[in-house]
Amino acid sequence: MSVLDDLKNLESEALERISNSGSLDAFNEVRVQFLGKKGSITAVLKTLGKLPVDERKLIGASANAVRTNIEENIKSAQNKLSTCKTASDFDPTLPGTAQPIGTIHILNQVMNDICRTFYGMGFEIAKGPDVETDYYNFEALNFPPDHPARDMQDTLFVENDRVLRTHTTPVQARFLETHKPPIKIITPGKTFRNEAISTRAHVAFHQVDGFLVDEGVSIADLKGAIVAFCKAFFGEDVKLNFRPSFFPFTEPSAEVDVSCILCKGKGCQLCKYTGWLEILGCGMIDPNVLDNAGIDSEKYTGYAFGLGVERIAMLKYKINDIRLFFNNDIRFLRQFI
Amino acid sequence: MKISYNWLIELTGLDWSVEELSNRLTNCGTAVEDSEATDRYMDKVVVGEVLDLKPIEGADKIRLATVNIGSETMDLICGAPNAAKGQKVAVAQLGANLVGDLKIKKVKIRGIESCGMICSERELGISDDHSGIIVLPQDAPVGQLLAEYLDFKDTQLTFELTPNRPDSMSAIGLARDAAALASVKVKKPEIKLTESPENASDYISVKIDDPDACPRYAARIIKNVKIEPSPWWVKKKLIVCGIRPINNIVDITNYVLLESGHPLHAFDYDRFGSKEVVVRRAKDKEKFSTLDGNEHTCNPDVLLITNGKKGVAAGGVMGGLNSEVENDTNNILLEAAYFDPSIIRKSRKHLGFVTESSTRFEKGADPNDGLIYALNRAAALIAELSGGKVLKGIVDCYPNKIEPKKIKLRFSRCHALIGKELSKKRIIQILSDLELAVEDKGDNLSVTVPTFRPDLEREIDLIEEVARMEGWGNIPDAITNIGSLFTPLFDDDKFAEESRIVLTSAGFDEMVCHGLVDSKLAEKVNPGSQFVKIVNPSSSDLNVMRNNLVMSALPVINHNMSHRNMDLMLFELGKVYFPPDKNGEWIEDNRIILVVTGNSHINWREKPRAFDFYDLTGAINSLSKHFHLSEFEYCPGKIDYFEDKLSYEIKFNGTVIGCIGQVKASLAKASDIKQPLFLAEFSIKLLIENSNRVGDFKPLPQFPAAPRDLAIVVDVSVPAGDLLAGVKKAAGDLAEKVEIFDLYTGKQIEKGKKSIAISISYRHPERSLSGEEVDERQGKVIRSLKEKYNAEIRDK
Repeated sequence: MSVLDDLKNLESEALERISNSGSLDAFNEVRVQFLGKKGSITAVLKTLGKLPVDERKLIGASANAVRTNIEENIKSAQNKLSTCKTASDFDPTLPGTAQPIGTIHILNQVMNDICRTFYGMGFEIAKGPDVETDYYNFEALNFPPDHPARDMQDTLFVENDRVLRTHTTPVQARFLETHKPPIKIITPGKTFRNEAISTRAHVAFHQVDGFLVDEGVSIADLKGAIVAFCKAFFGEDVKLNFRPSFFPFTEPSAEVDVSCILCKGKGCQLCKYTGWLEILGCGMIDPNVLDNAGIDSEKYTGYAFGLGVERIAMLKYKINDIRLFFNNDIRFLRQFI
Repeated sequence: MKISYNWLIELTGLDWSVEELSNRLTNCGTAVEDSEATDRYMDKVVVGEVLDLKPIEGADKIRLATVNIGSETMDLICGAPNAAKGQKVAVAQLGANLVGDLKIKKVKIRGIESCGMICSERELGISDDHSGIIVLPQDAPVGQLLAEYLDFKDTQLTFELTPNRPDSMSAIGLARDAAALASVKVKKPEIKLTESPENASDYISVKIDDPDACPRYAARIIKNVKIEPSPWWVKKKLIVCGIRPINNIVDITNYVLLESGHPLHAFDYDRFGSKEVVVRRAKDKEKFSTLDGNEHTCNPDVLLITNGKKGVAAGGVMGGLNSEVENDTNNILLEAAYFDPSIIRKSRKHLGFVTESSTRFEKGADPNDGLIYALNRAAALIAELSGGKVLKGIVDCYPNKIEPKKIKLRFSRCHALIGKELSKKRIIQILSDLELAVEDKGDNLSVTVPTFRPDLEREIDLIEEVARMEGWGNIPDAITNIGSLFTPLFDDDKFAEESRIVLTSAGFDEMVCHGLVDSKLAEKVNPGSQFVKIVNPSSSDLNVMRNNLVMSALPVINHNMSHRNMDLMLFELGKVYFPPDKNGEWIEDNRIILVVTGNSHINWREKPRAFDFYDLTGAINSLSKHFHLSEFEYCPGKIDYFEDKLSYEIKFNGTVIGCIGQVKASLAKASDIKQPLFLAEFSIKLLIENSNRVGDFKPLPQFPAAPRDLAIVVDVSVPAGDLLAGVKKAAGDLAEKVEIFDLYTGKQIEKGKKSIAISISYRHPERSLSGEEVDERQGKVIRSLKEKYNAEIRDK
């Protein structure tokens, strides 16, 4: 039965070649060599016609079985290759070599998040100068001449009756002078204070103020807008508390606390065990501010709010030193990639 | 401001816990910032009796005391100089936790075991006094808890009051808010004043020279007082409210100040120096010594209370040294005045300090009932506690009475502004509870505002009162859609936002600087230029605004270098500031700065290389591509802070918008930067105006391109940009793409020459180009390069 032995030998030779091959080309080669038109198994089959019927049947069946076996082995080896293209000299765990990307400053990321949220609520962006007149920074906003904020210890003064703006609310005063209601604006930007630099205080910080003026605007509208913002920004389950407060440019005024984003109001170090975080100030625009800008405060009312970007960034990312923002140490910047 | 919780409860009769009181007051606008139990350091502190006091051998500052605390007799070491045998003292037992985290444990000093401590006031949180131990009255029962014996169970509430509410700066004022929340009345202490027959006016008269600055001055005389320490109930309230007791007279003026909010001043009548009070402005350079011993040189901003000749008090701020109440004082002149807020502000600014009194007058005191109440209350208490006699009558100078304001409040306005319909009854109730006089006029109220509420001037102020007493939490959240439907993006922000993405994708990290810089550095970077100067800088190294972004980037690079962050790719989008130009305009310009220094990122495939000029122009090119801007030009130009050989102006559409180059080594070194530093800075205004995010569609090419490569050798001085422009010009509109793909100088090239390889892709939009056509164009290109740049064509 030397033909059967030959078949056995060819089969084991083919299977060994398959297991040692690592590429599609190599498998093809095996297929051609054994199963192709001039392949060695094909050659065996070609001799069948010369054999007696009994033998023909036996060897034919055996040759077909060998053929199927080789084909299946090639197929499964090919499948293995396409699912895992591992070759012995290839290491997919080496790091990819794209140019590492840089980081947008965390303050601008947070600022953008805030602005985008208000943008979605229909607020437009307006901007104004950092070096502001005393009029727009204070007087137009109903700060009495002897308000403590106008003292040298709080505000950085420049020559010619100019100041570095202490809030972005002057943009509101400027915008109201040149536009007619309905007005729906946010005013992101940089602001300055005369502060000694420490972990909690800096000479500059970023603010997003916003305001809306139209007929029939009420505290309820203000509350609705603030609640909508806080839910969008801090999550649906955030709770809010409005505490009456005082600002020269709004009346009535309130400060808004949100339930602590870390402990959800149970009390922790972040919220100093009160369960609440002070997040923004708001109120109804004082009629004097509207009148100063030539808007009839009997006909129109409006609300305004303001939030500190550094404060929100510090709370959200548990940053414990405000100086880190302006140091621009790349080890800090790159944490927020 | 600090106020005793017990006091507020006494005045309101409410049964609210500390927490409830704090929360409810906070939610109506009088915010409680902190609350601390007064006896928090008195746990395990009991009354003890010193049975024996023995010196300890070899120690002269400490003694061994044997103390009976009822349950036991213990030995302890005592260092107080005033300790004596037989005294009743406060003894902290083992486990007591005193001020400053001082825990009482068993200790051995000089071989003697001490199991407790005899305490001073400071250790128990009563005051700052640490001069000696507390000596209790002889009848103090041994063994009783000290807090119980002293009746010292109270809570100190710290309020963070808004500046518009001077009326809340007192126990009665705060009680008024609490009482209004519960719709009850404040129980103001009744005044039991018995006047003696002698007339006060026989002893004193009052003359006001400046009734605008001092609209009212009222005085009483109390004779034959005895200066003593105050009784414990007075001391206790002062201590809880954070005020140090001194003697009965001073304590009472402070007590009444805390209780009613109206500042008072007690003069020693016999030291006053005359029988006449004259209130006038100080003369320029007039000298006056306040009772803290400081001599001031006044000016007319200071309002002086005088005896007709010389000053005896800086009105509304502080009394004078010359008429201070002392231990031998017999007769008192008690002042209750009302000063205009603006004069007090000027006065305390000139004098350079604030007091409890100036703070209240500056925010607005009550010239009417509040003033008289405080004067009578103090007089009655002085009589009660010092044995003095209050003379008949108040000597009162009040030429122009300040009348309460009347304000109209429309219900419709109140509803519209709050956004909730409150019933007429509820609004009237809220305002009446706040002690405002309300008259119903149908569709509006006529509200008479007592003079203790100077903040209530307009209708809106009354609406605020309604809103805060109703509670903002009880106002609904309305979901309204007011304003415009369409919200356009702000061009500057869009440009900034997209620039950030382009630059961070290119590997740059964004920095944010505040813009305040040190004038010394600023001068070095941009000598002779104009700066916006800060008149009152918070520190001398932040005294001007930057007029370019380089001066604020250098400290950032310095910071990073000092933390061994040597490889930096940074950018900032920020403003620079200029003082007024000739038209008086203050210019603020938005700019971008790009900085590279050090080496490129390490990876296993390529060797890191040093960052240079082309890393900047590459990033700039990405920006110009992203915004579809025309190409930037870099023209040699001298910039002060760049090395002469690497200093270029950046031109856009023919206008200089910035500069690019290598920072002078000397300047970099001054900021401790010792490696090559390249930067580019340019204004973005023109770029925003010309940016066009999406270009028009161009049909995809239908016919094949014919690429040709070209290698030429030219003088090294020939700019590649010129060669590219020359090739483009010669190749004409058929050249679709012209790129430099190799640059070589070295062995195979003559010295002073460079080899540049350029690939040109030709394509016709409407047909296939024949080989001849392309060769013809290519020939034209070669000829022009030979002619213009003396280029030599290299064989491939």
